[in-house]
Amino acid sequence: MADFRTEVFQNEFLSDGATDVHAIVTVTSSGAGTAATSSGGVAEIVIIDTSGSMSGPNIDAAKYAAQVAVDQIADGTWFAVIGGSHVANRAFPYPNAPVAIVQMEPGAREEAKRAISYMRPSGGTAMSTWLRLADAIFAEVPQVAQKHAILLTDGRNESEPRAELSSAIYDVTGHFQCDARGVGSSWEVAELREIATALLGTVDLIRNPADIAADFKALVAESMSKGVADAELRVWAPQGAQVLFVRRVAPTVEDLTARRTEVNALTGAYPTGAWGDESRDYHVAIRVASKPVGSEQLAARVQIAVGGDVLASGLVKARWSDDSSLTARINPEVAHYTGQAELASVIQEGLAAKASGDEATATVKLGRAVQLAAETGNEEATSRLRRVVEIDDEEQGTVRLKRNTDKLDEMALDTASTKTTRVRR
Amino acid sequence: MVTCAACGTIAEDGSTFCEHCGARLEAVTAPAPAVVVAPEEPVPAAVCRACGGTIADDGYCESCGEKAVSERDHWSELPSALVGGVSDRGRRKTRNEDAMALATSGPTAVLVVCDGVSNVPDSDVASLAASRAARDVLVTGPAGSTVGSWSALLLTAAAAADQAIKDAVGDTSHRAEPPSCTFVAAVVDGPTVVAGWLGDSRVYWLPDEGAAHQVSVDDSAANEMIARGVPRAKAEASREGHAITRWLGPDAETVVPGTATTRASGPGWVLACSDGLWNYCSEATDVADLLHRTIAQVGTAPDVIAGELVRWANEQGGHDNITAALARVAAPVDTVHTDEAVPAEPAPTAA
Repeated sequence: MADFRTEVFQNEFLSDGATDVHAIVTVTSSGAGTAATSSGGVAEIVIIDTSGSMSGPNIDAAKYAAQVAVDQIADGTWFAVIGGSHVANRAFPYPNAPVAIVQMEPGAREEAKRAISYMRPSGGTAMSTWLRLADAIFAEVPQVAQKHAILLTDGRNESEPRAELSSAIYDVTGHFQCDARGVGSSWEVAELREIATALLGTVDLIRNPADIAADFKALVAESMSKGVADAELRVWAPQGAQVLFVRRVAPTVEDLTARRTEVNALTGAYPTGAWGDESRDYHVAIRVASKPVGSEQLAARVQIAVGGDVLASGLVKARWSDDSSLTARINPEVAHYTGQAELASVIQEGLAAKASGDEATATVKLGRAVQLAAETGNEEATSRLRRVVEIDDEEQGTVRLKRNTDKLDEMALDTASTKTTRVRR
Repeated sequence: MVTCAACGTIAEDGSTFCEHCGARLEAVTAPAPAVVVAPEEPVPAAVCRACGGTIADDGYCESCGEKAVSERDHWSELPSALVGGVSDRGRRKTRNEDAMALATSGPTAVLVVCDGVSNVPDSDVASLAASRAARDVLVTGPAGSTVGSWSALLLTAAAAADQAIKDAVGDTSHRAEPPSCTFVAAVVDGPTVVAGWLGDSRVYWLPDEGAAHQVSVDDSAANEMIARGVPRAKAEASREGHAITRWLGPDAETVVPGTATTRASGPGWVLACSDGLWNYCSEATDVADLLHRTIAQVGTAPDVIAGELVRWANEQGGHDNITAALARVAAPVDTVHTDEAVPAEPAPTAA
């Protein structure tokens, strides 16, 4: 069993009358093992867009990437391959096979690669059907604890109303994790982000079809390296307190507040998916009733639970003081991630404003983004922003929108907006 | 051998009445009464004192998040059904520098309260060592049977307390501001209440009926100013008024306590307390009112009453550590006559 530990970064001192407690909780796992050692086994489904738009280099690259992914899937892992257009088709096991999912072994690997080579692009794009088929296939192996899918598309979800996709996402949430990838510039970042966010995965842009294979290889390797199938973050807050938000802030920003399920009246659980040996940061904000100066209380217990057992617990405290030298200090971790979370949202809002023709708002938002990226030392964000705006004054956040920007640069900025840098400690 | 339950005098076998005080001799025969002293380690609070919830292993309440008080920060003692007390950190201080040590020995009750001088490191160590050392001296009882011998024993107890501080704090005694504390002790021997003190921790006599009064006399700058003719209101309102003029510890100029005696003419309570309590009710009549209101609410168990007094002081702000120790004086014997004149009013003898 993996070891989890927590570290809490906060300024526990509150001024008289203050009520809001912020803390960054770093959760680190070690000895997680690999998927091969995960109890209950692992299932992996590769979903490839086979709509008509994929014709040409995209489908060839996608098929090659799917074959590379199949090579990475360890023997013993349950797996299947789906081709998706306006309908979803199981490519492997073959549609006429008696079972929907099989365990990997050398024969199955060769046969799956052959099946992938037969995939042909045609039709439209209705991703809800892809997700629902993956869900149905995963349901064939209820004993498997760790279920992961990779979804690759090159286009918009144009064959169905958006609500259809949202509804499918809602229905399959919690059943499996999914990383979503878009190749080229014709897909919609918001659509894939909605899938990846709900299904505890990542979203990314692949500029060049030739790079799909390397990305798939990394994704499968990552999935295979996770030995803890499912952990939940638990947040206890005292009677009468309010959990303002629970946010993962590293490696990427993800608001988990609405994902709460109740453990008991005072404790909520938030899904975190599978864990390898890794470290993640969470930002927890709690509002408690103010107490007299000199009082101390616990504002939150932030815990990691696997299979219902709490493996680590971090304590978030509140101490009221009239010493302003204590209460005025802003914790550097909290400040850093507050800035990074705002950075993600102003990038997304700025790009959305730009897309809708509201250049004034776009300029203000992306200017603020430039300022925040500089303040929080997120150099990658700064360099991505540079491709979209001319920076006049980084410190003041004064920018001008670039003319004739590459659509891919805007999409890269959008998909990477939630990636955070960690505090230098 | 028979010992008088009222005054402790050893009477000749076969006597019906005490030669010394005239009290009827009960069948209290030797061996000497068992000394009851509260356990060395204060009992931890497993229940949240804010909401009554359960304290989790991490030291905080499972329901309201209140920090569980450490044993040093809040404890109670109950050496007998008639003697008990509570010492508490209060709300504003980060640790409890008050301490108390209570004991009973037969009919004798011993209350010792020490208040560590604030913001001096290890004053909490000093106060605990001092109070226990003084208690251990007092509980052995005086060599003689007179009030004067109790006063002499209080001097011995204060000296022992001072030595205990020096032993406990070690090298820190050479600091510019070494650990130090106030000292107040009350011995309840039948109807006789003898108090000894250094500093501003107090002993009150709070009879069930009749006038209450403070037995001890604060060693405070305010009182010195009053003695020099400064009006009381002006003295107590002055900035230096709260400064204490005597204390125990390595930098104490004198460790000879002031002593005073009072004699109960009816049942009542002796209260020894730190300024964390009396800052909110200084006048003896106010303390008596508070006590009687409290007893009406929670009954007569001394540790429960003391706990309620502490809770009340916290409600008033809890600006300082709070310690309250109580001993019940039962209805005195009918016939009272002693060789030694004992004033009904306090007679402080600042030594």
